[in-house]
Amino acid sequence: MNCNKATVLMSAAIDGELTEKEAEELSGHLADCPECRSEFQEAKNTKIIIRERIVRVKAPRNLVESIVRLTNVTG
Amino acid sequence: MKENKKELSAREQIKQQEFQKEAVPHINALYNYALHLTMNPDDAEDLVQETYLKAYKFFDSFERGTNCKAWLFKILKNNYINKFRKNAREPGKVDYDLIKDFYHTIKDVQSDTTEAESDFFHSLLHEEVYQALQSLPEEFREVIQLCDMEGFTYEEIANMVESPIGTVRSRLYRGRKLLRAKLEEYARKHGYNTDTEE
Ligand SMILES: [Zn+2]
Repeated sequence: MNCNKATVLMSAAIDGELTEKEAEELSGHLADCPECRSEFQEAKNTKIIIRERIVRVKAPRNLVESIVRLTNVTG
Repeated sequence: MKENKKELSAREQIKQQEFQKEAVPHINALYNYALHLTMNPDDAEDLVQETYLKAYKFFDSFERGTNCKAWLFKILKNNYINKFRKNAREPGKVDYDLIKDFYHTIKDVQSDTTEAESDFFHSLLHEEVYQALQSLPEEFREVIQLCDMEGFTYEEIANMVESPIGTVRSRLYRGRKLLRAKLEEYARKHGYNTDTEE
């Protein structure tokens, strides 16, 4: 496997979505290639940054209440 | 065969209980998704409300044992398309001021969780990350949100965006490449050297 192919696989590797064969090939390449290892780390960080830096808000109280009410129709 | 009233209400009660257990816990996730789609808190609220009404009505068609959050997201997305698509922003056009303003409206008490280590990402501001994400073409932004922020699998995302898994995979790859370039651009503005080949 060359560096280009490895780079393409990294994205799905981070998500745990490679086939077994692809995962094996990629880790084989990473073991031999320091550039791709550092690239892989950076790629992981990109995912982390999206997950952690984008603010999550809570749904407004009235919205939550009205939805709970919707499913509370008694009788 | 006719069912009597008592039986119906017992069935309805089971449905309610199940709905509360399966669907209601995802309100926050749906609200956030709706906010990112509409960039407007009132529209987001309407969208979530309508999604839950629809979901409740069609709860029988929810395949038990599958991911309820994914099912709800799909309903919300379809609702959004029907309702807002006509006025959706044009691809490629990004209103940075709108994004910034919007970001400040939704940003409440900020609790920073663990941050990435001391690489260039560290220098980025929250709104820069958000701007970078929002500046991506929708097809890329969407899959990144669903994957990285909401943790859906490729199969779930493929089903939501009605594209093959291979397409989801390549959109993620391409979208992340674009996103990285944007983020590095911001980092350079902060004086970070993001060039790895020194
Ligand atoms: Zn390599």
